[in-house]
Amino acid sequence: MKRNAETGKRLAAVLLAALALFLLLFSAAGADTPYVTYTVNGYGDIQETQTAYLAKQAIVKFGDQSFSNPDDLFVTDDGTIYVADTKNHRILAGTADGTLKAEIGKGTLQTPKGVFVTKDGHVYAADRDAEAVFEFSPDGTLLNTYGKPDNPLYGEGLSFMPIKVVVNDAGILFVICESNTNGIVEISPIDGGTFLGYFGTNYASADFRTIIYRAILTEAQRAKMVSNIPATPDNLAIDARGLIYTVTRGDGLKTVKRLNIAGINLIDSAESVDIPASIAAGNHNNIYVADQKGFVYEYNNDGELIFVYGGKDDGNNRIGLFTTVSAIDVDAQDRLYVLDSASGMIQVFEPTEFTDLIHEALYLYSIGRYTESKEPLQQVLDMNSLFDVANRAMGRAYFQEENYETALKYARLAKDRTGYSDAFWEIRNIWLKKYVTWIFVAAIAAFILWKVWKAVDRKTRLSEKFRKGLKRKEGGLRDNMAYSFFYMRHPIDGSYGIAREGRASWGASAVLLVIFILEFLADKYLCGFLQKTIQDGRYEIFSDIGMILVAVAGLTLCNYLVCTINDGEGRVKQIFTYFCYSLTPYILLTPVCFLLSHVLTTNEQFLITLIRLLIYGWSAVLIVLGIKEVNNYTAKETAKVIFLTIFTVLILALIIFIIYVLWAQVFEFVSALFGEAVYRVG
Amino acid sequence: MGKRRILLLCLAAVLFLTGTAGLAESPETTGAALPAEYAEYRLIAESDRYEMYLYEPTISLLLRNRENGALIASTLNEHTAQGKLNKTWKGYTYSAFVLDVLTGSSKNYKQADLINNEHTLEYSYLENGFDAAVFYPEFGLGLTLQVRLDGDELLVTVPDSSIREETDGTCMAMVSLYPMFGATYMDQRTGYMLVPDGNGALIHLTDKEGRFPTGYSQLIYGSDNGFTESSPANYLWDRYETVLKPHQITAPVFGIAHTDEQTGYLAVVEQGEKRCSIEAHPNGVMRVSYNRCFAKFLLRDVYKQPLNQSGSTKMDMVEKDRTHHDLSVRYCLLTGEDAGYAGMARRYREYLQEYGIVTPQEDSYRTRIDFLAEDQEKFLVGTRAVVMTSVQDVKDIYAELQEAGVSSVLSEYRGWQNGGMYALPVTSFAVDGAIGGTGALKELIAEAAAQDYLLMPYVDALRMNAATNTFTYDAAKMVNKTTLKEKSSKQVYNLFYYLLPEKTNEKLTGLAEDLKRNGVGSMAVGGITENLFSYSLRDTYYTRNDGAYAYEQALRNASGGLKLALEEPFQYQWPTMSAFLNMPLDGSEYMYTDEEVPFLTMALKGLVPMYSDYVNFEANKTELFLTLAETGVFPSFYITKKNSSDLIYTNSNDLYSTEWDAYRETVIRFDRELRELNAKTAGAVIENHEKLEGGVRRVTYSNGVTVYVNYADEDRTADGETIGAKSFRVSERTAGGEAQ
Repeated sequence: MKRNAETGKRLAAVLLAALALFLLLFSAAGADTPYVTYTVNGYGDIQETQTAYLAKQAIVKFGDQSFSNPDDLFVTDDGTIYVADTKNHRILAGTADGTLKAEIGKGTLQTPKGVFVTKDGHVYAADRDAEAVFEFSPDGTLLNTYGKPDNPLYGEGLSFMPIKVVVNDAGILFVICESNTNGIVEISPIDGGTFLGYFGTNYASADFRTIIYRAILTEAQRAKMVSNIPATPDNLAIDARGLIYTVTRGDGLKTVKRLNIAGINLIDSAESVDIPASIAAGNHNNIYVADQKGFVYEYNNDGELIFVYGGKDDGNNRIGLFTTVSAIDVDAQDRLYVLDSASGMIQVFEPTEFTDLIHEALYLYSIGRYTESKEPLQQVLDMNSLFDVANRAMGRAYFQEENYETALKYARLAKDRTGYSDAFWEIRNIWLKKYVTWIFVAAIAAFILWKVWKAVDRKTRLSEKFRKGLKRKEGGLRDNMAYSFFYMRHPIDGSYGIAREGRASWGASAVLLVIFILEFLADKYLCGFLQKTIQDGRYEIFSDIGMILVAVAGLTLCNYLVCTINDGEGRVKQIFTYFCYSLTPYILLTPVCFLLSHVLTTNEQFLITLIRLLIYGWSAVLIVLGIKEVNNYTAKETAKVIFLTIFTVLILALIIFIIYVLWAQVFEFVSALFGEAVYRVG
Repeated sequence: MGKRRILLLCLAAVLFLTGTAGLAESPETTGAALPAEYAEYRLIAESDRYEMYLYEPTISLLLRNRENGALIASTLNEHTAQGKLNKTWKGYTYSAFVLDVLTGSSKNYKQADLINNEHTLEYSYLENGFDAAVFYPEFGLGLTLQVRLDGDELLVTVPDSSIREETDGTCMAMVSLYPMFGATYMDQRTGYMLVPDGNGALIHLTDKEGRFPTGYSQLIYGSDNGFTESSPANYLWDRYETVLKPHQITAPVFGIAHTDEQTGYLAVVEQGEKRCSIEAHPNGVMRVSYNRCFAKFLLRDVYKQPLNQSGSTKMDMVEKDRTHHDLSVRYCLLTGEDAGYAGMARRYREYLQEYGIVTPQEDSYRTRIDFLAEDQEKFLVGTRAVVMTSVQDVKDIYAELQEAGVSSVLSEYRGWQNGGMYALPVTSFAVDGAIGGTGALKELIAEAAAQDYLLMPYVDALRMNAATNTFTYDAAKMVNKTTLKEKSSKQVYNLFYYLLPEKTNEKLTGLAEDLKRNGVGSMAVGGITENLFSYSLRDTYYTRNDGAYAYEQALRNASGGLKLALEEPFQYQWPTMSAFLNMPLDGSEYMYTDEEVPFLTMALKGLVPMYSDYVNFEANKTELFLTLAETGVFPSFYITKKNSSDLIYTNSNDLYSTEWDAYRETVIRFDRELRELNAKTAGAVIENHEKLEGGVRRVTYSNGVTVYVNYADEDRTADGETIGAKSFRVSERTAGGEAQ
């Protein structure tokens, strides 16, 4: 017996050595990949990065048994690969060097579409056409068959067509069934299979149109609509902690989910995957998702995308590209096994030095060992300074170490608003603490200076002389601009001035408009990071200016047209003037917002929001009163004119759009004619 | 069957060895020595080592090595064909050449061969070969095949003047010459086919079990952008290209070696190669059970003519005229030890020297350290310069390198021109003031040269920035007369045109003159070294031959007085290069290639200095280091003084890791170790390359130095030498085996 064990050990050692040698030999050949690896930056935009995984090997068969449309695979801790060889009605087990270890379920299985192996070696096969999940012992003996639950809660009319299965440490089965939208079927092994209920049900998303329809349609009409059914998850996986992961097609940012024991999703949002085929839980709290089109995604603990690579084979038959991916799994050494159903092949990918570093760093970070994570993070950033997931982690790690200046720098690089705001709060706090005395001293000094100045001014009348010196010419440009401030404070009297006292001015209005545009641009491109709505490095200045000019011109024109047919008294000049004068609150208060945007953190952003609300409200009031008073309307007439103006603006936009489309058609026709002529003649 | 063949072969060998004199006088008697399946072949020419037999009806050749009796057949025949072949494939595999004929305007090809199609065939014999004129009355097409046995080489040519196209609407699209030359059935023979993928790759002659629907099929010098438009077929999120193009063919060669009989050939596509694809199909491809490699010449292609601006309506058009050029393939026959990839590389090296394609250059070791000077990012209404490495920065880095003992360097200075990296085209030596200006750079180049630091201004001679060139007079148009565009999803500049090759010639020559006037002695050129395309100008259509001619002229003009370092240049440009940049060191990962071999580097090592792709962006640097030691290629780095994160909003945001501070140590370490190694092999060529067991490579140089490279994770022993895990060892032994 002992001898046997020894022989076994020796044999295993020899096999292992042979396997190692094989892999080595293979890895010596070439390090090029036929695909680019990307990560995403803080804006969610794509950023090229080092190769994360190298395609090392392609397995097309175990022994002399090749696969036919295999739909699933599972890799155990000892490196055994189980393949659901769907069209051959069996499960095949083998090793990475192509050795066949077992053929399971031949004769029992009909269409095995999912396979799962427990730690003690029990093999579960989800068989769609046999309408059952089969459990086999490690040697291939059929132990249990879990058919359709007879519990009424399952749903009587529903069929049971299992396509994927995972089993947790307690032996509970989680089964995805085809065309069962209630969720994952949870079955306990007690009494040959007890239905425990549905788990991790997806929610049907209701878009705006659906909500409107629901509000206005009658019951009968609603019944005729295509019912809005939640999608069935496409695949699932389980990690060492017993958490279940699912992927669902077309679920947008909810494509990838990590479900706790109560079936609650723990991931906020993850970059979406077009046609998710399979999901696997990694060894570093990371997640892998394979897209049927051949892309492999890796996410970190929070569902942020770390890498995406791969692609569809372009007909050149290259290793690392795919035809139709059906499954992905990862082994203890972080090697990825991706199953290509159409070509019946498993491709094995190995992580590069770079990926190992990322995994180490993000794992340390995810379990809260920030200081330790810094060194691998620094190495990652040396190899790719534009890797924002690492920049962000680095920023947070420095924050934990209370090195706020550096934390701020990394948060800014990573476009990490939360991290930036936190670090900034601390820095500002330190600054305030340091200078609080001086601030008080300065305030008191200013107050005293003010008092002294007042006293001096009373005697010398300096300010009065100064004001006299600045005396504006009545009706001049400066005077008219100053009038806009009067208009802002007294819109009714101001409007009277515009309408009757010749206070309308092209020049002053134009200058105000220019100031407005400049402030708008400064605020858009140079405000503090937390308020910034446009990405760094992007500039749309011409279109910004164009938009404002078109809007003001359009409004003036439409408002004038509507007013003239509604007995309004306003002329174009006056209308343009009240629109421009109504921008005064913006011109006065935006600099305040701008300054605040540089010193406030996320917590205090509401102050800016408040000021902006004030600006918009005030301007709206000025416009309404301007229309009313200048045209001498009643309140009712004003409302009508405003409504009509908006309507006219929309009509104008539509007309411009139609002309544009028609013109494009004409242009297309002429250029096609020209092209044809050139071609025929040339 | 097998036994019989061996017996016959032995008999042939015995007969030969016992002295079958007077072969030339009585070819019929020699014919009797051939195996029965070649009974109908007759001796037609011979050289010192080879006899060439001909089977007239199909212009089939049989080459027999007198020394070992080994045979290589050019085609199959009734007796040698195995497996199932349908009528079309029978015609294909039995014929000396196969034509793909286009009738009408659609992409509908018909095959013309010497079995299935009526034809006339006239021979005229010469001392060392023959001319065979073939005409197909059915299609009105004809050509003359000239075959010459020249020493150990077989030259097959189709002169352009012999091609006849006499029926309107019917024309020749493709000509495959001897598509079954040296072909083997399934795994009947051992050996491999060599394909020029990357540095070289082998397809073993083993049973592929029908796993591969397609084989190797690539146009020499890359695909033709004058015809193909990029199609966003399978992009990530419908926007981003993730799939990289396979390596382009830089050397127009292929070969096959039957290692069991120690026979084979290396074929060089000598003429017409600018429009020719190399095909290497293992068994199972197109359901044919033969392993075969050959050259397929493209005379005409079908293109899509858009009929409106948006390109939504298109019609298929056949090129009006064919490409006019002689078509020829030189088969260098290999025997004995030479019948292997190392022998092929040796032979290719001889070929390159014999025909003056490569003249030996000074190839002492240098580390290549390229610098990015400047790129642009958007700012307010225009763009602003992002200076990454100013002239002063380069100076400082050079000083540091010198202090660290780096005694010679080659550097490309990229983005030095006014407006930075993508201000294209570059027409004069006007250096951007933001990085220091012309005077400063001129001074630095001279200063550095005195210390053996070669600083070369880099120029992309192909592209034209659409954002800064409103008028497109200089831009090349595709065959369908639409402007050739290169689009990307970059932030600042996302559209580039290709310059008309004549304009490239004009501008590059002008720039070269300006450089010479300023006392700059060298220049690095890219763009035109990696692209070749057909184009149209007004009413005339120009082929890749025309483009290549213009580029050749441009480079030749520049090379008089300037040292040219070319980025991954095509073979036709090699006569002008003094350094080969971006040498590919690995393959395109085709599933049907079984191993990668250092074919190209072995042929060129010792003739011209070769520099790798950038080490920075390589994920596994240790492995790359070992490959550099194995191939004798020098390392390359891409360096900026500033941190690469400054590049985030520029077109260069794919340079994610270039900061000098992060690479200082690596550069110095690579330099130290590889300089020492290359000092020992300086001036020598590689005589042999072998793959030993356990991941060890043995590279033998002509000066007796042997380099052992161990890719394994543990120590290995070879020839009594222990090579540490993941490292290399140099042994300087004389032929007697004594260590020096």
